[in-house]
Amino acid sequence: MKALSKQKWLEFIDRMIKEDAGEVIGVKAKGSRFHFSPLDAAADLRLDYDITLLPPKKELLPTCESLLEFDISQPFDVQVKKEDQKKILVGVHPYDMVAINMMDRIYLDTHVDEHYEIRRNNTTIIVSDILNIPDRAFCGSLGTHVVDTGYDLLVTDLGDTVVIAVGTDKGTELLDKYASPRDATDSEKGDVENLRETTGSSYTRKMADDYNWSEVLKENYEHPIWDENARKCLSCGSCTLVCPTCVCYDVEDEMELNLVKGKRTRTWDGCLLKDFTLVGSGETFRESPMERYRHRYYRKGLYLPQRFGFVACVGCGRCATQCLPDIADPLEVMNALAASSMEEKKELPIPEVEVQGIKEELLLPVSATIMQKHKMNDLETLYTLKLDSGKKLEYEPGQFVEVSIFGIGEAPISISSSPGAETFELLIRRLGDLTTAIERLMPGDKVGIRGPFGNGFDTDELEGNNMLYIGGGCGLAPLRSIINYSLDNRKDFKDVTILYGCKDPDSQLFHSDLDRWEKMEGVDLFTAVDSCPDGQCWDGNTGVITTLIPKAKFDPKDTKVIIVGPPIMYKFVIRDIKALGVPDENIIVSLERRMKCGVGKCGHCQINGVYVCLEGPVFNYKDIKELPEAL
Amino acid sequence: MKPRVAFFDFASCEGCQLNVINLEEKILDLISIVDVVTFREAMTERTDEYDIAFIEGSINRPMDEEKLKKIRANAKVLVALGACAHTGGVNKLRNQWPVENVKKEVYGDADIEGNPLFDAFQTKAVDECVKVDFYIPGCPIDRNEFARMVTQIAMGRTPKLPTYPVCVECKKNENICVFEYGEFCLGPITRAGCDAICPTNGEGCDGCRGYLDDPKMNAAKDVMLKYGITLDMMMKKLNMYNYKKEGY
Repeated sequence: MKALSKQKWLEFIDRMIKEDAGEVIGVKAKGSRFHFSPLDAAADLRLDYDITLLPPKKELLPTCESLLEFDISQPFDVQVKKEDQKKILVGVHPYDMVAINMMDRIYLDTHVDEHYEIRRNNTTIIVSDILNIPDRAFCGSLGTHVVDTGYDLLVTDLGDTVVIAVGTDKGTELLDKYASPRDATDSEKGDVENLRETTGSSYTRKMADDYNWSEVLKENYEHPIWDENARKCLSCGSCTLVCPTCVCYDVEDEMELNLVKGKRTRTWDGCLLKDFTLVGSGETFRESPMERYRHRYYRKGLYLPQRFGFVACVGCGRCATQCLPDIADPLEVMNALAASSMEEKKELPIPEVEVQGIKEELLLPVSATIMQKHKMNDLETLYTLKLDSGKKLEYEPGQFVEVSIFGIGEAPISISSSPGAETFELLIRRLGDLTTAIERLMPGDKVGIRGPFGNGFDTDELEGNNMLYIGGGCGLAPLRSIINYSLDNRKDFKDVTILYGCKDPDSQLFHSDLDRWEKMEGVDLFTAVDSCPDGQCWDGNTGVITTLIPKAKFDPKDTKVIIVGPPIMYKFVIRDIKALGVPDENIIVSLERRMKCGVGKCGHCQINGVYVCLEGPVFNYKDIKELPEAL
Repeated sequence: MKPRVAFFDFASCEGCQLNVINLEEKILDLISIVDVVTFREAMTERTDEYDIAFIEGSINRPMDEEKLKKIRANAKVLVALGACAHTGGVNKLRNQWPVENVKKEVYGDADIEGNPLFDAFQTKAVDECVKVDFYIPGCPIDRNEFARMVTQIAMGRTPKLPTYPVCVECKKNENICVFEYGEFCLGPITRAGCDAICPTNGEGCDGCRGYLDDPKMNAAKDVMLKYGITLDMMMKKLNMYNYKKEGY
């Protein structure tokens, strides 16, 4: 451990500011409160602060940042925007350092977010021991009033002396370059230990006893507290915005007023906000304020622990302080739940899926050309695309890509072709701005593609089985990729039965595939429409998809059943095939949610703890049947 | 062909159109993507041939309503510009009293009987008279939001307003909540998009951008009561830009 006199410590900070070590950002007063802000002089630094309004996450994941810049007057002109400015954060409290360590896990896990990575690598963090405890904090109970990793330097302001522990080589270099510290004395080291111990025991707000957050939450999914508190909730998202471990984001394209240049920006988002889960079809998956209110606690106390092994709350108390109705305090909620655990346990497990980290730029689309465009009906069009790199898109049936038009936006679209060809096919329904804009494109035009993403159908496990495919509406698009895969590799599969239902005859998709399947030997195809309105023509089955199930001849004990359709369909189809004796593990579904980033960061596609973009969209029913948000 | 754009004003201070002019050098970009064909506040030329009509102001007289209906018939896209057009704005405050009383208060014994210029009815927002395609809220409008909306319309996008409250932008700006220093604020129920300009400058939000589609009114009232705001103060504030006869 090193030490500097107070005077020398201030000189150290001033030298960093003046000698261009990078942008020095420290804790300063803002009215009666504090914030991280660029320092002009060491004298403005307030190591005696209790807490900052926003956590230092804003320096690593800015409230708004530019990801890409593009020029739409060109066929495909896009550049990644990266910030490479060096920053030194001074005065980060241990709990915020713990939170940054968690953020590192989220943003640098499996798929590495390069925008975050560059900023993180360019940031030097000087942690400061806590001198004043804010009213609503409870770090003592979580042990987050101290931190032993992540920082470059850790300083303790003892009044006349500042004691400095070095965490990394980066920290040593900084210290050697801008200061000449002496070794800390044993008595100073003792003072630091005492200060930390005193801090730890000074929190008046504490966990009622030593319960495990995840275990408590497992027993309280239906607890009345969720509804009681949600009634008072403004759904304003403040609790998530000020939270150091809430790191979800949204992405938006913005054009300059000349309509030539634009950028893709990323901004903070929060799961308490109403449209967080909104998908193109207009559906939201956590519609009630209660579900959104509850989700925040489960994400922190159960879902992130399941995934990463840490409770994503550091006890800073910012949410409690900034929530006007005062219902956002995790300590109060957890203490109340722990005192009255009342239900049978819900494990809410995350299925284990092996995810290969993506090596390329995560957020940069590559260009692809529309080779063919085939209108299927008023709303749906099938596009054949080819990557301009000349490489084949390597994908599995059931995976999806993110399709971009710069200046409009990006949306997840499932791949509907069987892998192997030089081209790939996407069925796109005209629903929102992006899909409307795609419909205006012609062969030869370009779109951006990211991916493929997600967990597709496990073809190895499916091979050698009888197959029953059940598709509803647009669900035939992803289903077609695995149907055609099994027919392309016909000898590897036993009997194939296909059930397909749609709203009315005009909305029927993939006619040429349907004709081909009908004629193939060893393939049984049954189709139905919900109804046939006047003016349309239909002489087949009329009724919802479940009316086809009794017609299908299949061995319920020895058939893999794959179901893809609109959200409402799953419940009824699964009920009927289970009644026939199909075991849970033979049922496979593909689910749609708002897969905004595709790489498990933005948070929008979560079904309880599951990321649809990582563990899905294809799931084995047995793995998700216990998840209340799934079906 | 570039879309032809026209600006019209009804009962308003014309501050929203002024904010369009305040785009300054960006105006040049604007006129590179649209043809401004009618804009009384900025030019003398005028025409009835236009694609996009921006309407500022609330509707207060039969003659105004007639004129608005003609604009609607001429325009492919009609945009309500600013609070008066969007919600009726502060003009709607007079709907608290019968029209006759208001006229008496303002004009006294002056002879206005039969004069169409004074034939006021209860104030209406633009969408109480004709169909509105898009809204650009605020008192005044935020010129950056105006620019964003125009680019989105020109790109064929549906311009979308935030569906979250002002608190989101206020938190991102790292403000001290105005409730903390005794101000009172409609931010939690008001549609964001202004970058929380009032709270950022120390004033509580007056709700000029209109309330959210599903404002958490009861929760907001509880908060205001908790902070010692009387019902009378609350109603005055709630009514300022969003007067509703039936209350909240």
